[in-house]
Amino acid sequence: MKKLLYIFLAAILTGGLTGCKKYLDKLDNPNLVTDPPLNGLLAQGTYRTGYSVFEMGDITSYYVQYLAGNTKGSDADVYNPVDYSSTWSDSYASMMNIKQMILKAQTDRAWLHLGVGQVLMALNLNMLINTFGDVPYSNALEGKNNIIPTFDKQQALHDTCQALLDAAITNLQRTDASLKLDAGSDVIHTGDAAAWLKSAYALKARFLNQWSKTSSYNATGILTALGNAYTSNADDAALLSFNGRSPWNGVAYNNTQLDLDGWLSTQIVNAMNGTNYPLKDPRLPRIASITKYGDYRGTQNGAGRIGTGTNQEESYLSVTGFYSATNAPLLIVTYAETKFIEAEAALRSGDPGRAYDAYLDGIRANMDKVGVAAADRDAYVNDPGISVGKANISFDLIFKEKYLAMLLNPEAWVDARRYDYKYKNFSLPVGAAIPTFIRRLNYPTIEISRNASNIPPVKGLDEKLVWDQ
Amino acid sequence: MIFRQNRHGHLSPCFVKELLMRITILAFLLTINGILMAGSTSGQDLSTIKVSIDLSNTSLKTAIRKIEAISHLPFSYRTSDIAGLTSLTYKASDISLEKVLADLLIHNGLQYELVNGNVIIKKTKAVAASTKNISADKADTPADGGIKGRVTNPKGEPLVNASISLLGHKQGTTADENGYFSIPNLKPGRYQVQISAVGYGTEIRIVEVKDNSTATIDLQLSDKTNMTEVTVTALGIRKEKRSLGYAAQEVSGDALEASHQPNIVNALQGQAAGLQINSGGGAPGQGAKIILRGINSLDPSRDFQPLFVIDGIPIDNTTDVNDGSELKGMGNRASDINPDDIESINILKGGAATALYGLRASTGAIIITTKSGKAGKLRGGFTSTGTIDRSDMAPETQGVYTQGWLGVYDSTSFWPAWGPTIAAAKAIDPTHPDHLFDNYKHGYKTGHSLRNSLNFSGGTDKAIVSASLSEFNQGGIMPFTNYRNYSGKVSGEFKFSDKFRFGASVNYINSGGRHGDADRYNEEMTYFSPRWDMWNYMLPDGTQKTIIGSTNDNPIYVLWGKKYEDDVDRVIGNMHFTWSPVKWLDINYRAGVDRYTDSRTQTTPGPLGLTDEIYPAGDFYYGRIFQYNIKNTVLNSTLMLNFKNDIGRHLNSSFKIGHDLFQTRRTTVYTEGDTLTVPTFYSFDNAKKVIATSTQRDYRIIGLFGDWTLGWDNFLYLDVTGRNDWTSTLPQQNRSFFYPSASLSWIFSENFHLPVWTSYGKLRFSAAKVGKDAAPYATSTGYMIDAALSPIPAQRFERSNQEGDANLRPEFTTSYEGGVELKFLRNRIGLDFTYYNNTSKDLVIPVKVPVTTGDDQIYLNAGSIRNQGVEISLTGTPVQTKDFRWDIRVNYTSNHNKVLSIYPGLTEIPISSQFGYLSADVTQKFVPGMPVGALYGRTYQRYFGSAHEDPAVLDRSKPMLIGPDGFPVLNAASKQQYLANSQPTWIGNLSTTVRYKSLSLYLLFDTQQGVHKYNQLANFMSAFGLQKGSLNRNDVTVFKGVLADGTPNTKAVWLGQGVGPDGVNYGNGYYRNVYRGGSETFVEDASWFRLRTASLAYTFPDKWMSKTTFLSGATLSFSGNNLWIHTKWSGFDPESSSNGSGNVADGFNGFSYPAVRSYILSLNLNF
Repeated sequence: MKKLLYIFLAAILTGGLTGCKKYLDKLDNPNLVTDPPLNGLLAQGTYRTGYSVFEMGDITSYYVQYLAGNTKGSDADVYNPVDYSSTWSDSYASMMNIKQMILKAQTDRAWLHLGVGQVLMALNLNMLINTFGDVPYSNALEGKNNIIPTFDKQQALHDTCQALLDAAITNLQRTDASLKLDAGSDVIHTGDAAAWLKSAYALKARFLNQWSKTSSYNATGILTALGNAYTSNADDAALLSFNGRSPWNGVAYNNTQLDLDGWLSTQIVNAMNGTNYPLKDPRLPRIASITKYGDYRGTQNGAGRIGTGTNQEESYLSVTGFYSATNAPLLIVTYAETKFIEAEAALRSGDPGRAYDAYLDGIRANMDKVGVAAADRDAYVNDPGISVGKANISFDLIFKEKYLAMLLNPEAWVDARRYDYKYKNFSLPVGAAIPTFIRRLNYPTIEISRNASNIPPVKGLDEKLVWDQ
Repeated sequence: MIFRQNRHGHLSPCFVKELLMRITILAFLLTINGILMAGSTSGQDLSTIKVSIDLSNTSLKTAIRKIEAISHLPFSYRTSDIAGLTSLTYKASDISLEKVLADLLIHNGLQYELVNGNVIIKKTKAVAASTKNISADKADTPADGGIKGRVTNPKGEPLVNASISLLGHKQGTTADENGYFSIPNLKPGRYQVQISAVGYGTEIRIVEVKDNSTATIDLQLSDKTNMTEVTVTALGIRKEKRSLGYAAQEVSGDALEASHQPNIVNALQGQAAGLQINSGGGAPGQGAKIILRGINSLDPSRDFQPLFVIDGIPIDNTTDVNDGSELKGMGNRASDINPDDIESINILKGGAATALYGLRASTGAIIITTKSGKAGKLRGGFTSTGTIDRSDMAPETQGVYTQGWLGVYDSTSFWPAWGPTIAAAKAIDPTHPDHLFDNYKHGYKTGHSLRNSLNFSGGTDKAIVSASLSEFNQGGIMPFTNYRNYSGKVSGEFKFSDKFRFGASVNYINSGGRHGDADRYNEEMTYFSPRWDMWNYMLPDGTQKTIIGSTNDNPIYVLWGKKYEDDVDRVIGNMHFTWSPVKWLDINYRAGVDRYTDSRTQTTPGPLGLTDEIYPAGDFYYGRIFQYNIKNTVLNSTLMLNFKNDIGRHLNSSFKIGHDLFQTRRTTVYTEGDTLTVPTFYSFDNAKKVIATSTQRDYRIIGLFGDWTLGWDNFLYLDVTGRNDWTSTLPQQNRSFFYPSASLSWIFSENFHLPVWTSYGKLRFSAAKVGKDAAPYATSTGYMIDAALSPIPAQRFERSNQEGDANLRPEFTTSYEGGVELKFLRNRIGLDFTYYNNTSKDLVIPVKVPVTTGDDQIYLNAGSIRNQGVEISLTGTPVQTKDFRWDIRVNYTSNHNKVLSIYPGLTEIPISSQFGYLSADVTQKFVPGMPVGALYGRTYQRYFGSAHEDPAVLDRSKPMLIGPDGFPVLNAASKQQYLANSQPTWIGNLSTTVRYKSLSLYLLFDTQQGVHKYNQLANFMSAFGLQKGSLNRNDVTVFKGVLADGTPNTKAVWLGQGVGPDGVNYGNGYYRNVYRGGSETFVEDASWFRLRTASLAYTFPDKWMSKTTFLSGATLSFSGNNLWIHTKWSGFDPESSSNGSGNVADGFNGFSYPAVRSYILSLNLNF
């Protein structure tokens, strides 16, 4: 009892002696940091952006039929509406962090951080508008200052992306930054400002190329931007550090542990295993697991598995594969992609020679990236089905090879829609819920629920986005 | 009230605190002084009480009332004894009470006696004798009959000086020191015998007296009458019940004991009006949720449950699920309390009732009084209670169609029941069993529990000590789940002098056990084909045995491997003293501490790496260990000065001021070790990666309060309170806030001549305002530090997606309450009616904002809500004879709440959402104009023709729209419509006790009506072809409804999968393509009506007890809980919840831990 007496006596005395104000001053949350270091924000901004590329890729890969569901009629496979609230939330949380980094970088005159922030913001925003169409941006990310964001038109946000990249290009070239990019915090370009500058140009080219179906397509602008973009695979923007397993490695590993995931679609496997084209693609063994039959087989989207699912009767992302090995980098923008953009832009601007060279460079670059032996690479590239000569270069060839080189990247869905899914033998999934290929996603439930009054109407998943008309 | 105020119009807390601190220290010094002086005590001496009195032609009754008011001594008498004395005139000043009483009574043939501070007036023996003479004179024949008996209290102790009178006759007597009485010389006939005693009820018995025989009546008087009934109110203040201007209902420990529920919250079910209790489910140690008068807060993360106060000390009642244990049936911390220790529970519901507790009790208060010792010889009690539990309800399964897809049998199929019939499967696979396993029943076994409680008490009139010990062990109906609770309590009350009393108690509790995730278990049982026996779950090498090829894990193996245990060590201590330095002042001080640690560990084994091992990676995480350690301390200190005074002749006054200090600190540490190298070695050193996070939360409140109770001639009472709180969670400029209350009680039966059958009538009215602060740290925003990445060890700073508002203001609830209490037929029937209306404004809500703001939620003063309702309690004793007594009590509660507004521009605040296949998710939302339990989800299109559809609300009256394919058409997933309300429209319960001699039968019927919940299990069952309704899967049907042009649908369609008899390919079939996508189908009526408790108790006769040398009483009881349930709900018990007991969301109940039907045998021994 004495102890108890002392406890409450102490409680009262402490309260009295230190004063009421101090006694009640418990407003500051001891669990949160109020002023984070800029490089700490850089770490989060680069990591979360890379992770968002994975999350988006994990959605779009079913629509471009890189991946297929292992159960019959799985919703993503057959174009049923799926709620992607977590990806949406993660994207905006990521952009909120990037915004804080941008604001702090401006205050601190940390121009390089500012430039990186603008690149990251543009990339995130571009992925969102190409998936959901109109999204909130111009009065979003303001926290308490505007709790009901409105939706901006896609067209305007495409302009915003370009503006962000232009600003980034300026900032990344400034030499008077107060702070260097920390190599240990930048998990995309390890603190290399020059690499960020190239990425800004590469993204500029990618975004401009998205308008290929429209009259505002600007081939010159694309080629100009590419002139300042990547020059080799070493320049690629990729997520290099992870929280646990690298994302696709996690998918592949789960699959080996019967948490079925990462099943390759018949479409991508048949494009590489000699079915759709006579040539066997040397990249396939570097990507997929081999079946018990000793070959590579996909799973048809919507059809689900044929066997037990555990018996290696189909190919999956391999736990040792290029995209899904332990610590496999998550590719964001690559040199190979820029070469295919160049090929397309050159062809559209009437320069098949440049287009043809860029097309072949793109294939070689990706082969090298994936780790194909030089001999195999050259055998593939020199095959008459690939090396068709500049007179015969076509959009079909460029899109086909770009499709193979963009594996798991969400930009592949933009390509597929620009190309109207005309890949060889590309067909509607079994049991498709709509009679045409999918063109966009519904707004996620979390936004419908919280921002109902502003949600733009969506006619259906076959509604085409602004650049897809 | 007058307080010194500072410039801002608020009390300066520093000034007051300093003053109070000084008083406290002074009080302590005096305490020590008091201890030294203890030893010389004297009983109350009427000669020392000096009074002044002026009576002019008044009745003795009025005179006694005046003396009562002046002296504060309760008087007790038989009305008939003093009825004749109507014109007294007496005047004296500063004269001893002894003299006054002598003057007033002795000369009128009366005498008085002082018993335990009560003045008992009775006729002198001479008068009694003369009564006998009168009676004898009037008798035509000699009267030889008589009545004798014994009067005891509920504990069997004699009621010395109980008054016994014959109504309509003049005879009467009092009980002797052993409680015996005798009224001889009565002529034959029927007599109404009225027995009453101070502090106890009044009973009337009809007794037949015959010639030459003496009728015997032994009876127990229940505690407290309506005249002197005292009840515990806020801050432990005892007030006469008649003086309360608000509803107060008390539940006795006996009523709680009948159900033998291990969790006191569950034990309260059906015991009072205005109380909504939902047990989370039947898991061992599982928490239960209690809501008083509806939800008055819109912060789903804030405690919406009442404050729990044990012996004056607020205790923690958190249900912490921050380690991801929401679905593991974690206990609410009040469940640590040993229910056998409880003497009584008072439920304070309204704003006026809880005003003195301030903001902490803004959601009501549950005031628990534990058993205390009594002076006298050492007493002991031992109770042993054994229970057998079974799941009380389970969903019905189809039992015909087996594993496979498209009607094709496949023993390796992922699909548990889309195959052919059993007969067809057996033709292919002779090993197929004859019957499918009914997993939802098969997966639950018989549970059991045993509680042993022992208590001792004893002492002298100066020191009373009591102690109790209890152990409780329970094995759950879900495999591997269990719970234990060990509790020890010691308390003492010491009277050092009439001026100083001191008491203290310490309660140590250890509780915890192994929890299982019932949600996950039921989900996995849904996937696991009923063709296989899941109890066959392990191979000899210790790896999982499951359905080869199906990719589904064995639910029991997963439960076996996922070992989650909690272990709570808790100490609740309190000390209190009362010092009465002068007659008009009592100084009360009470301090308490509630401190516990809760250590939780979860381990899952890693893969053994054996060939053909099927490792449940999704649940076992490749071998993982995590620990979650909570340390929680609540300190509480209350100092109260009670000034008693009388103003004039009629008015008495009690004025209290006090100071209250409340402080909590909660720290948590979560450590997780990933990927174990040695699969079953559970050490962090064995993990590939270890991460740890910690949190700390401080919360402090200082309060200053005043309470002024005025009583006018014992029939009119006014109570005014005021309280100012200073809280640590609001910004400095808004930190201090004041709120008042007033309540009025009028015993109108004292003023009006009511019909004879009305014995008591009271009206009450109260108005109160209660302020409430914000959750801790609701004003701050900042960054979390995330786990470092690898291989580049980047340290990430991530902005918290919860934003604070540095300008938050307190929220206020204004409540009005009116009520009437009536008692009829000499209190045989009682009625208590209450209406209340509570409006809360400026509610501090963590508003779920569009994530496009960059935040997930922002704390804002955002909304308002109103609760209004009625509470009716009816008590009655239809039959009461010598050996037989029948009591009935009915409670009725109806609460309607409405969200009045949320933040401007926002249309809704989602509270909780649960997944459904085909976007059949159901969301509970706060929407203006709707009740807090509004459930929204995906609906079927209706045909409106030219009528206008309200897109926000489902209109079931309109015909279903049938598509060109012949099937109902689902609305777009984005068009969420209001489906139903999860809040009950009314709650009712009826309890009845029938006693015959030593046998008593208690029944409690309980109901909640108008409740709707989302049955997620039904949604899953329909996706997997398990529900009974899917037996029609091979039928051809025409859906009732109309086509787009308004004409009736006539198209026949097949409900099965694949190509139907009509040659059309129906794909995955109706149940998967359409049925599972309609949330409206799965939001079911979760109303229920149940026999909550039935209990038969037998008290062994005293003569048996006297044969033993040590026993003084023994009771054997057999009880059952949830013996019968009537509901339309199709899943497990509709009362259970998918959410933890600390979660405001109550609209979800699919994969919950089934509630249990319990059979209980209990033996209670007293010695």
